[in-house]
Amino acid sequence: MLLFAFAAYPLKSPIPVDLFLRADPLIALSAMVSLRQLVFPLVWFALPLVVLGLLMGRAFCGWICPMGTAIDLSERVLGIRGRRPDRAPQWRRVKFYLLAALVVTMLIPAAHRSAEELALSESVGLSAVYLLDPIALLTRTFALAVLPAVQWLLVLASDTATMWAYTDFAEAHPWVLRLLDPVQLGLGTVARPVYFRLGLVAFAMFGGMVALGGLARRFWCRNLCPLGALFAILGKASPISLAVSDKCTRCLQCVNECKVGAITEDPHEYRAAECIHCYSCLAVCPEQAISLTVRGEATGRKDELELSRRRVLQATGLGLVAAVLPKVGWGARRSEAGVLKISGAKLIRPPGARAEDAFVTACVRCGECMKVCPTNALQPALGEGGLEALGTPILVPRIGPCTEPCNLCGQVCPTRAIEPFEIEEKRHLYLGTAMIDRSQCLAWAADRLCLVCDEACSYDAISQVTIDGVDRPLVNDRICVGCGICERVCPVQPQGAIHVYATGDKRDWGREAQRAWREAVEQEGASGSPYPGV
Amino acid sequence: MSRDRISRREFMKRAAALGLSAYGLSRLGVFGAAEGGASAEAASGATLVVASNRPPAQLVRAAVQGLGGMQRFVSSGDSVLVKPNIGWARRPEQGATTNPEIVAEVVRLCLQAGASQVKVMDHAVDRPDALLLRMTGIGPAAQAAGATVRMASSQAMYQSMSLPRGRVLRTTQVLRDLQRADVFINVPVAKVHGSTGLTLGCKNLMGVVWDRGAWHGSESLDQCLADFAAHVRPDLVILDAVRTLMSNGPKGPGRLEEPGLVVAGSDPLAVDSYGATLFGRRGDQVGHLTRAHALGVGEIDLERVRIQRV
Repeated sequence: MLLFAFAAYPLKSPIPVDLFLRADPLIALSAMVSLRQLVFPLVWFALPLVVLGLLMGRAFCGWICPMGTAIDLSERVLGIRGRRPDRAPQWRRVKFYLLAALVVTMLIPAAHRSAEELALSESVGLSAVYLLDPIALLTRTFALAVLPAVQWLLVLASDTATMWAYTDFAEAHPWVLRLLDPVQLGLGTVARPVYFRLGLVAFAMFGGMVALGGLARRFWCRNLCPLGALFAILGKASPISLAVSDKCTRCLQCVNECKVGAITEDPHEYRAAECIHCYSCLAVCPEQAISLTVRGEATGRKDELELSRRRVLQATGLGLVAAVLPKVGWGARRSEAGVLKISGAKLIRPPGARAEDAFVTACVRCGECMKVCPTNALQPALGEGGLEALGTPILVPRIGPCTEPCNLCGQVCPTRAIEPFEIEEKRHLYLGTAMIDRSQCLAWAADRLCLVCDEACSYDAISQVTIDGVDRPLVNDRICVGCGICERVCPVQPQGAIHVYATGDKRDWGREAQRAWREAVEQEGASGSPYPGV
Repeated sequence: MSRDRISRREFMKRAAALGLSAYGLSRLGVFGAAEGGASAEAASGATLVVASNRPPAQLVRAAVQGLGGMQRFVSSGDSVLVKPNIGWARRPEQGATTNPEIVAEVVRLCLQAGASQVKVMDHAVDRPDALLLRMTGIGPAAQAAGATVRMASSQAMYQSMSLPRGRVLRTTQVLRDLQRADVFINVPVAKVHGSTGLTLGCKNLMGVVWDRGAWHGSESLDQCLADFAAHVRPDLVILDAVRTLMSNGPKGPGRLEEPGLVVAGSDPLAVDSYGATLFGRRGDQVGHLTRAHALGVGEIDLERVRIQRV
């Protein structure tokens, strides 16, 4: 969690800020199955946890998982005590069914494609893992809700200190000034509050997970978490076991203490796959009757997952529904003739983002890119990209531009939905195109002296034309990459008179074609059409 | 220090009081009256020093020396506000922001003259602040020279100020640090500018204002600049013309020239008029300078200015 706070400009954390996300085998599985390709950074990062899973099953859940830690802490702080013992232990199977449903969504093609198109396409699967992966859920909660709240308080403190610093008393006493200086108080870099759409929704999801703890301790972990289910499956044959000796008096303290209900009503038996290796049972046993052994000597170990075949089939159906619903309902996207159509005019993706289908598939909505974006410009999509793109990052220029000398989002994306890119590449990574609304523009509509969009443009994509003695801005749509700084600085309140639209989005061309196109534009000057066969 | 110098704070108070009460004084110039001799100096010919043929820091040193040294402007114990252009995420060699060596040298001179505190501040257009400070080089350079460097990005740092003599702009939110400083030094960089033709000292003052968008939306941006210049007068203007951005200003990237000059003076309009000549124009060919002249901000005719070259 601390690690996560490091994901800020300038990026200088010694370890990857998205370490947990990258190491998460469920995210790796989802990204690779839905993309139908190996993503090597994910393979290497996920490998250690897969090995841990093979050796010790759900030990990750007990010792490493930040969501487990957050839930444990919240339950303690809020005094939530689940009923003991768990009255509905059969619910623990739900997580396996959810995992099955997720895998089905990964397999269902995301779009209707001809065989030819499928060969061209780099992506065919759909990913719903963002809904249920605990690491993505927690990172999102932190990015969109918790840290903005903390930052808001810091800004409040900073502004209050600033106001006090302007009093005569403070000015007469240098030590008071020093004390009130936001920078020296460590608040200097948070001059602006950040805010996110869907922040409350993300927080409500987390809050719901914690609240379920009222039914049973770590309700989420024991019953719902698909990542936990994955570790449970991996750990079916784990060599490390618990053994109960004859000293056991059946006091059942271990059964009550077990955070995930892994010990059955008969304390000599436990579900090895469920055990999170927290060893609370060892600590709580008054007779010290429980010990760690290697596999063969354990007699009470139950390896069977006890899943129902019918339920697995039902889960498959659920996955199918989840995959198909976004295609037929509100905000559905369409692909036509190999050229991707995008549903929303304001669907502006960060630079380096893969073509839309692959992007939506790979993105786990963890919020890292939004957290790291120095201008607060990246926001969770609402309906711009259809239902399946809910919560994926889009650029909202009126909040902030994609500031030119920055490539942080590409550096922190754990699944390479946003691929790493160099700052120099940004001049040919076309996110969209700015268009001037001449009915609102101060220069066009009111003959005012205003070329703020031209002044702020980082790429010299806005020029001016003098009509009736007044200079008026024009956008060169072949140079404009859609960074949105013009929309951000436009003084027309509240909506601005220049807007970036997805019209010029050229992600589906690939980077090389975009670069070549930009070079052609430069060579041909202001006239001529350099479109390479498009 | 032969002039009857007063603190900036006191100057603001008096200016506001005079402006509200004495309409008849406007022709003479309220600020000239309050500063006790500034307008007389303009009429008798303001003084400019143009320094050349040196590295940037020494240009500043020579120019200020030519004006009589920094102690003429900064007294022991003064609080000084230095306002460079840190508006854009550009490197120094792109000519869109003030040369960091020049800013650092101004800071050093102020401290040597006995300033108790030197603040370097600007209200940038680009974001984020940390990047601007690092990229322009001004953050580390000014800090190393002993200044407190702050980006004025929070509205809490601004306070409403009335501009009684403004023709279009009657009130605007101005950086509190400016309103409280004893000495205000404007350190612009000379560039062409989309909206206003050129950006020199008067235009650089827009970076101590909170709601600049309202100026663009007003009846006349040029008049807003003039109105503001008539009420907020720097004690010293040091114009960075080491590199000048000749096209696609104010942010660039554009064509650069290297006049290698620093122009210093206490008459803001005289400095800007000289700056205009670097772009092949006269001061009275720049809209906001002409309007500022009409409000008695200073001397626009270089024939009437004593120019000392060092």
